[in-house]
Amino acid sequence: MTKRTMQEATFLILTALAAGSRHGYGIIRDVAAISAGRVQLRAGTLYTALDRLRLDALVTVDREEIVGGRLRRYYRLTPKGAAELAAEAARFHANAATALARLGPVASGSG
Amino acid sequence: MSDTARLERGYRRCLRWYPADFRRDHDTEILGVLMDGARDGQTRPALTECIDLAAGALHARLGPTLPRSDRAGWAVVRLLCAGAVAELAALVVVLATAGGVRSTVAALNPGFTAAQWHAVLTGEIDPTAVAAAVAIGFWLWMAWLTSRGHGWPRPVFVLFFLLTTYSLLSGLSAGSALYARLDVAVATILWIVEAATLAVMTRVEISRHFRRQVPVSSASAG
Repeated sequence: MTKRTMQEATFLILTALAAGSRHGYGIIRDVAAISAGRVQLRAGTLYTALDRLRLDALVTVDREEIVGGRLRRYYRLTPKGAAELAAEAARFHANAATALARLGPVASGSG
Repeated sequence: MSDTARLERGYRRCLRWYPADFRRDHDTEILGVLMDGARDGQTRPALTECIDLAAGALHARLGPTLPRSDRAGWAVVRLLCAGAVAELAALVVVLATAGGVRSTVAALNPGFTAAQWHAVLTGEIDPTAVAAAVAIGFWLWMAWLTSRGHGWPRPVFVLFFLLTTYSLLSGLSAGSALYARLDVAVATILWIVEAATLAVMTRVEISRHFRRQVPVSSASAG
């Protein structure tokens, strides 16, 4: 059976956490930066994804801080999360390399 | 009231859509993220933010909570969904063959009175169709409960299985195989799907029980 492809938002959240632990708003800003502003996560979407990722043991809570009277929870990748992200990145990379090789001159802008 | 306080109150109102256990865990955290991301001078949640939080709350209330790694649990969910599809097929067969069943019953019982016909329709064909429609909902409800990690669907499903087994056997003993062969064939397939689902449910329950026991015994051994 084919393994289900990771959703782009999930991939970007894991990518944001690959650089180190981040709190919720930090993840939103990092995802926007990684995607050059194309993906703007909202709080509801982020926490739905984070809950799912915690359930699947791909991310975990790193630490908690109180800033300005509000809870700030930092998340980090688990070893399992890092392995899944690496596998997914390798798959994207292989597919993209094949697509670019087949497009040839068109992809390089000379066609 | 300041703009910030008004905005915070608006966000808190939206966060009430989430279930209580989710709010206990994330309420102030999400509120912080929402306030950090607010535009300068924003006094109320934007419509897109409200829609996003409503979708998140809906997912928190109805979405699956089984981990992806729980393959056995997801196998049960898939079997229960397959059961709903088989039940739908059974309903279609019951409705599609109702005319044929009536003709066969008429051929086998040429002297039936209007009252006896009424008894056949209201006592056999109509209840079977209604029961199949209700059962579709039951299968989907069981699938949803299982995807939410509830442990009690199995005993309920055992009762359902016993009920349908009794219904199939009583139908066969009343001679349904003579006048409704296709219906009996579909009911038998459905019964096999139920038996398989129950077997997998029981296997999952037993393996979970032993997994829960392992840490206790290893702790006592250590």
